[in-house]
Amino acid sequence: MNMFLFAELTVPDPNVSVILPEMIVAVAGVIVMLYDSFFPKQRAVSGAIAIIGLALSAVVLATMWGGNVPATSWNGMIAHDNLRLSFSFVFLFVSAMTVLISTVWVERENVPAGEYHALLLFATFGMMMMSAGNDLVIIFLGLETLSIATYVMAGLRRADLKSNESAMKYFILGSFASAFLLYGMALIYGATGSTNLTEIAGKIAAPNFPVNFPALLLAGGAMMVIGFGFKIAMAPFHIWTPDVYEGAPTPVTAFMAAGPKAAAFASFLRVFVLGLPLVAGVQASGYLHESWTTALAVMAMVTIIVGNVAAIMQDNVKRMLAYSSIAHAGYALVGFIGAGMAKTDQARDEAIASVAFYMLTYAVTNMGAFAIVTLLSQKNDRRTQFEDYNGIGFKSPLLAFSLSLFMLSLFGLPLTAGFMGKILVFSSALGSGNLLVTALVVVAVIGSAISAYYYLRMIVVMFFRERTTEWIAPKITTAIGAVLVIAVIGVFYLGLFSDGLIQRFSRPGAAVITKAEK
Amino acid sequence: MEPNLASYLALSGILFTIGCVGVIFKRNAIGMFMCIELMLNAVNLTFVAFSRYYADTTGQLFVFMVMAVAACEAAVGLGIIISFFRNSQSVDVDDASLMKN
Repeated sequence: MNMFLFAELTVPDPNVSVILPEMIVAVAGVIVMLYDSFFPKQRAVSGAIAIIGLALSAVVLATMWGGNVPATSWNGMIAHDNLRLSFSFVFLFVSAMTVLISTVWVERENVPAGEYHALLLFATFGMMMMSAGNDLVIIFLGLETLSIATYVMAGLRRADLKSNESAMKYFILGSFASAFLLYGMALIYGATGSTNLTEIAGKIAAPNFPVNFPALLLAGGAMMVIGFGFKIAMAPFHIWTPDVYEGAPTPVTAFMAAGPKAAAFASFLRVFVLGLPLVAGVQASGYLHESWTTALAVMAMVTIIVGNVAAIMQDNVKRMLAYSSIAHAGYALVGFIGAGMAKTDQARDEAIASVAFYMLTYAVTNMGAFAIVTLLSQKNDRRTQFEDYNGIGFKSPLLAFSLSLFMLSLFGLPLTAGFMGKILVFSSALGSGNLLVTALVVVAVIGSAISAYYYLRMIVVMFFRERTTEWIAPKITTAIGAVLVIAVIGVFYLGLFSDGLIQRFSRPGAAVITKAEK
Repeated sequence: MEPNLASYLALSGILFTIGCVGVIFKRNAIGMFMCIELMLNAVNLTFVAFSRYYADTTGQLFVFMVMAVAACEAAVGLGIIISFFRNSQSVDVDDASLMKN
């Protein structure tokens, strides 16, 4: 008997109530799968189960906001803070909208809906785990749960070569990037002897710096930037994005542009801003911090420029929206760097909240835009070129006006959600007073100006071009109508009355993990 | 002489690089996938080496998780490659070129 081994064992600390929202989503996914195997082809029912699961999870999440929940549980593996809560709401919103948007497409393409809804719920579960995980293991597992489900969703139109291509590219490049992320995690584990982010932050902060190999820490950080950079579509790791977004079924593209990107931002923030903080007086920590903030600032500039310039040259609407999503990742990175550079805990929490809010505004606008693209795309996504939108403005005014509104919000017109989001991330970055970050904000503003070209082009095409082919106005179904109403209200609400929500996102308490453990 | 930590790290670094170069230069989807598996296993070696170095089991647990995930990835990935093959009669990634700028 080895008594020493027993002394080493830590007492498990299960706390089911903390991960109840995640569990509800996962159980809903299992129910959808089981239901589908007994009663196949019941698309409306499996969609309804998915929506109910997501709504229930959101309700439980809302009760946890401000409730008496420990900062960390499951032996420090699950964090409970504003970062987790705010991002989880974004994920649930995105998934629910995706279910509604897909109703049209699922009917049109005769998709095995049970599988599709189950995969969507499992992907949501993975995303929620990514934002809640306070341990590299949980973050990795969440990311893979999300990725594997999304690979399949991208290739769901099995008979279509474009969809196959999209899935294959996403799968090969995605697992390639995961390998880099994993290697980064291994090196960080090697440098600090722990996979728990709170412990890693503690080891870096210790005055005598017991981190064994500073070089490993740096290499690990760089590898993880590659892995996360791929998931958020940051240049130069964005090459896969346009092809995958174009080939994937349109509702899946909508999901990929808003959901997994936000999830990757959540764990990216948690690992880098909270897990590898700048600690005054510790040389290696300063060096690490300076390296990643500088590298990310430069990459954010490239991302904004590449995304906006390439979007101008697109003729396919989905491809244009793909490049636009690259540019938006760049804007969100501005807030991310603001969080990394923040001098006080409060400024950092506000910057984190600004990124979460930005992803919410992007999700609302994007879901609305993709709902219309899905409705107009017809079977096999044939009608996704700009010319297919020629002159529909006065023939289907409802669709055209709401699509115009979403384009203006993506551009960042004042009074819309996109404007509020941009203002918040830019101001949180400017708060750091760093020269490089200021330059980055200038680039971001120039990038937004460039983006006017392709967003306004959409509006010009719809209202001022002659239509040569016949136009059959698509029927707006209840589900798509609901998405449009929610998105239009959301765009104005987030643009005009978002103060309360922002405060909720950034209320002091986001830093509970680091404070509680010190 | 018993190999030390540095030897294991060097070996895993070399394996990871071989896998990475393979993914970049290979054109066969299955071959690329095998190279990715090689990269994952190189990472596993790193985890185990550090786990032994620190006498800490976390690294070994991580390896189990990676293995499980790699198995899921293989199942899904081969399915995706097969569905591509059915429609294009090829597993060459250069044939996956319907979408271009």
